[in-house]
Amino acid sequence: MKYELVAGFETHVELSTETKIFCSCTTAFGGDPNTHCCPVCIGLPGTLPKLNEKVVEYAIMAGLATNCEIAGIAKMDRKNYCYPDLPKAYQISQYDKPLCQHGYIRLSNGRKIRILRIHIEEDAGKLIHNHGDTYVDYNRGGVPLIEIVTEPDFRSIDEAKEYVERLQQTMRWIGISDCRMQEGSMRCDVNISVRPEGSEKLGTRTEIKNMNSITNIAKAMEYEYERQCELIESGGAVVQETLRYDDATGTTSSMRSKEDAHDYRYFREPDLVTIAVPRERVNEIEARLPELPGQKFTRYTQTFEIPEKDAAQLTKYRSIAEYFDQAIEGLKSPKTASNFIIGQIFRRLETEADKEAFDVRTTAKQLNEMCRLLEAGKLKNNLAKKTLEQMLDTGKPVTEFISESDMAGLDENTLTEYCQNAINAMPAAVADYKGGKEKALMAILGNVMKQSRGRADAAAVTAKLKELIG
Amino acid sequence: MGQIKRIHEMLQSGAITCTELTQKYLTEIENSNKELNAYITVTPDVALAQAKAVDEKLARGEEIGLLEGIPMTLKDNISTKGILTSCASKILTGYKPIYDATVYELLQKEGVVMLGKTNMDEFAMGSSCETSYYGGAKNPHNTDHVSGGSSGGVASAVGGNLAVYGLGSDTGGSIRQPASFCGIVGLKPTYGAVSRYGLIAYASSFDQIGPITHDVEDAAIVFDAIAKYDDRDSTSRGSEPTLPTLHDEIKGMKIGIANQYLNGVREDVKAAVLEAAKSYEEMGAEIVYFDLPELEFALPCYYILAMAEASSNLGRYDGIRYGYKAEHYIGTHDMICRTRSEGFGKEVRRRILMGTYVLSAGYYDAYYKKAVNLRGAIVEAFDRAFEKVDVILAPTAPVTAFKNGYLFGEETDQLEQYLSDICTVPVNTAGLPAVSIPCGEDSEGLPIGMQIIGKKFDEKTILNLAYKYEEKEDKFKETKWGVKL
Amino acid sequence: MVTREDIENIALLSKLFVDEKDLDSLTEEMQKIVSFADTINNAEVRTGEFDNINNLSNVFRADEVLPSLPSAEILKNAPEQAEDHFLVRKRA
Repeated sequence: MKYELVAGFETHVELSTETKIFCSCTTAFGGDPNTHCCPVCIGLPGTLPKLNEKVVEYAIMAGLATNCEIAGIAKMDRKNYCYPDLPKAYQISQYDKPLCQHGYIRLSNGRKIRILRIHIEEDAGKLIHNHGDTYVDYNRGGVPLIEIVTEPDFRSIDEAKEYVERLQQTMRWIGISDCRMQEGSMRCDVNISVRPEGSEKLGTRTEIKNMNSITNIAKAMEYEYERQCELIESGGAVVQETLRYDDATGTTSSMRSKEDAHDYRYFREPDLVTIAVPRERVNEIEARLPELPGQKFTRYTQTFEIPEKDAAQLTKYRSIAEYFDQAIEGLKSPKTASNFIIGQIFRRLETEADKEAFDVRTTAKQLNEMCRLLEAGKLKNNLAKKTLEQMLDTGKPVTEFISESDMAGLDENTLTEYCQNAINAMPAAVADYKGGKEKALMAILGNVMKQSRGRADAAAVTAKLKELIG
Repeated sequence: MGQIKRIHEMLQSGAITCTELTQKYLTEIENSNKELNAYITVTPDVALAQAKAVDEKLARGEEIGLLEGIPMTLKDNISTKGILTSCASKILTGYKPIYDATVYELLQKEGVVMLGKTNMDEFAMGSSCETSYYGGAKNPHNTDHVSGGSSGGVASAVGGNLAVYGLGSDTGGSIRQPASFCGIVGLKPTYGAVSRYGLIAYASSFDQIGPITHDVEDAAIVFDAIAKYDDRDSTSRGSEPTLPTLHDEIKGMKIGIANQYLNGVREDVKAAVLEAAKSYEEMGAEIVYFDLPELEFALPCYYILAMAEASSNLGRYDGIRYGYKAEHYIGTHDMICRTRSEGFGKEVRRRILMGTYVLSAGYYDAYYKKAVNLRGAIVEAFDRAFEKVDVILAPTAPVTAFKNGYLFGEETDQLEQYLSDICTVPVNTAGLPAVSIPCGEDSEGLPIGMQIIGKKFDEKTILNLAYKYEEKEDKFKETKWGVKL
Repeated sequence: MVTREDIENIALLSKLFVDEKDLDSLTEEMQKIVSFADTINNAEVRTGEFDNINNLSNVFRADEVLPSLPSAEILKNAPEQAEDHFLVRKRA
C-alpha cells in the first residue's frame, strides 16, 4: 500500500530584540556562563516580570507577514513544568489568547500551509551534561521567542523544506530574527503521521523535537515516515510519543521517561496584565512593514516580466531586492538591471552569507546611472559589461570609465575621417551601393564602427556616408 | 499623638539619640525574643549603622523625616539584600537575596532602622504562625495563645514593643488577623497600591504588603511612604496619601454591615463590632445593614485560586539556585523531589498538592475556572455594595487568638484553619483595602479586632474612619513586653 | 472522589514524594479539602467575568539594555556551583 505523509510544524524563533522578554538583560548570543542574568531571569523569589513592548510588536509583525489575524486582546499564561533549565518551574507563554491566529504561507506549488497561531514566550536556559553531572547556564533564559504553529498541512518533505526556508526568509526580511538554526535561534518540532493514500482520517502522530537544520529535518522526516509505514505494514501501530532525532545515527528515539508526566496546568499569569492591541496599532505596524518577498516576486514577474527563476533570486534576501528596486528607478527595462545583478554581480558573491550581506562596491545608484546611459544609447551595449566590471572593481561611477567624447558620440571631424577611410578601403561596397544595393551601406557602416570601437552613433554615420558617397 | 510622631519628636529634640533608641529595642529583643519568638533574624549591625547615619544628620542640626530613625521590622518574606529571607521555611535555609524589595528600598530612602526579620507561617500559609519552620510567634497579651498568621511575628513584635512598626503581607488576612489577635492596627492596602517586587509570592493575585502598627496614624504614615508606583511591578499603581484627611469629620458617612459577615462569628466578637457601629452612629455616621450572599463562596473560591497560584509560585524551589538542597539523592529528578519533600513543611506541601489538583487536566473547569468566574461575581457584588455605602464594617476574625497548638490538635477539624479566614479573604478576593483595629477584648483579656473595608484605592476613607474611632474609644491595651518610652 | 492514583499523579507533577504509608491519610485529607472546594459548585450566584484585579492593560517596558549582574552575584546562593555554572551532581 502507498502511504501519504501528513505533517505539521511548531517552530520557535528567537526574536532579535536588544533585551530579554521580561527583564533588561541583553539577548546577545554566547557570553560567559551566567553573565547575562539578573534576579528576574534567574527567577529569584519575589521578582516580577515586565513585558518588553518590542516583543509584542515583533510578534505582530510576524503575524502580519504570515497573513494572520491579530488579536485585539491577548494575555500571558503560565505553563507549569519543572526542569532545571526553567528557573521559575513555569514558562510564561500564551495559551488560549495568543497574539496572532489563522494565517498562512503559500508554497511555490500553490498550496497554502495554514498557520494556526503565533504566540510569544520566554526561552529556557542551557544545560550541559558532563559525566552525568548537570551544569546550568541561564544566559538564554528569558530570551524572547515566538512559536509558530501550523495545521497538519504538509504532504511532502519538499514542502516542509520550502516552508522552513520561506519562514526563515520572511522573519529575516522583516528584521525580527536572524533565524540561525545552528545557533538555535530557530528550532523546529515536527509532528508526523502517515495514512493510506486517499484516506481522510489522520493517523497517530509522533513529534520529533528540536531540530536545528533543514537537512536534519528532512532526514528525520524521511526516517520517521519510513518507520511508521513499516510499522503499519507489519501489523503494528504507531504510538503517540515525543522523539528526538539523532544526527549521528540518523534515527529517532523516544524522549519519554517516567519522570515527566505532562500536564502543563496552564493558568493566567497573575504578575502581568492584559495586552490590548487596538486596530490603529496594527495599522501603524503594518504601514511600517516592508514589501514582503512574495509581493515583490509577483511585481517582478508580472509587471517587469522578469523570469520566475531570476525573480526568486532577487527576492531571496531583502538586501538584494532593495538594491534591485533602487537600481531600476526610472528605467524603461528593469530586466537589464536584473541581468547585471544575476549575471555579473552574483558571480562575485560566492556564499549565501555573501549574498545576504550583499556587500558590493557599486552602489545601486551607480548601477542605475549606468543603466540609464545604456538606455539613452550613450553607452553601447558591448561596452556595458566591461564597464560594470571596472565599476565593481573600483567602486567608481560609470562616468569614470567612459570619456565625455564617448558619451557625446564622435566629433564631426573624426566622424568624417573614419567614413572617408571606410569608403577608401571598400570600393566594391561603394560601387554596389551606388548600383542600388542599400544593404551594401551596412558593411561600410560596420567598418566605421570598428574604427570607433563602437562609440559612433549609427544614425550619424549613415547620414555622413550617404553625404560623402553622394 | 501616634507613636511614630511621638518618637520622632524625641529624636528631633535630642531627648534620645537614634543609637540609644535602637539599642533599647535590640536589648529588649534579646531579652524577650526567646519567649515571643517574634524574630527569625535580628540585624543589630544593620540597625546600628542606619541609626548612626540618622544621629549624624541630627548632629548636623538637620530636620529628619517622620520615619527617619524609627526602628521597625520586616516580615521574613520581604527580600533584603544580604540578609536571610527565609519565609520561615527550611527550603530557604541560608538564602540571602541579592536585591532589596521595593518597599525596603523606599523605607531606606526614608532613613529606616531595620531591627530584623520577623516570623511567619511558612510561605505565609497559615493563620496562627505555627507552620513556621522556626516555631510560632507568641501573642504578647498571653503567650499561651498564638500571635495569629501569617504575619504573626510582625504582630507579636509590634504588640510586644520589640519594634515600633512592621511590614507584613496579606494574602487572605495575614496582616489583619494577627493585628486583631495582638490588639494593634493592620492595614491591607488595595491590590496594586504597594509594590510586590521583592515580596516572596504565595498567591500573586492576592498578595499585598502593608503596615502593622500601634495606632491608626502610624499606619497612615507608613502607608503613605510605601504606596508608590513601581515600574518593576506591572500590577502596581500606588495610591493617594491618607494623612491629610486622617482627622476629617465622618458625619454623614454610610457604614455598611453585611449580614453574612456576622454568620458564624462568636457572640462576644459580634457584640464588640456592633458596639463599635453604635459608636460610629454617635459620631454622626449612618449604619446600613445589607446582604452580600456572594460572601458564602468567597472562602472556597479564595482557597482554590490561592492554592493554584501557590502551587506554581513554589515550583521554583528545586535546590539548584538557592536555599536548601537534599543531601542524598540519585539524579536530578530525585534531587528535586527530595529537596522539596524535605524542605517544605506539611501545610505547604498540602497546599501545593491541592493547587496542582485544581489546575490539573480534568479538574480545571470544575475548580479553577469556576473559581475565577466566582471571583468576578464577588468583585461585582462589592461594587454594587459600594454604590450604597462608603465602607463596610466587619469583624476581622470570627474568634480571638487561638490557644497554641489548637489548630493542629487531634480534636480540631483540619478545615478549621481555613474556615477561620472567613472574614478576611473576601477583601483579598476583590482586591479591596481594609484596616483592622482593636475594638474590645474577650473574657480572657484577648483583643478583639474589627475591620473597615473600603473601595479600591480609598485607603484615606477607611483610615479616616479608623482614626476617628480610635480617637473616641481607644481600645489599645499595652502589653508587659518590650521597650517603654 | 479523590483516589490514591490522583494523589500519586499530582505528587509527581508537584515534584513531591509521598510515602506509601502516608498515601491513604493524605488521600483522605485531600478529599476533605476537595469537598470544601466543591461547595463553589453549589453557588447560585451569577458568575462574572474576571480579567485582572484592576483591569489593567498594556504595561510595558522599553527595549533598553541595563547591565546584568556579575556571575559571582548570580551564583551567590547556589548550593553547588562549578566553572560559573549552577551544578547538579549526578548523585550525592
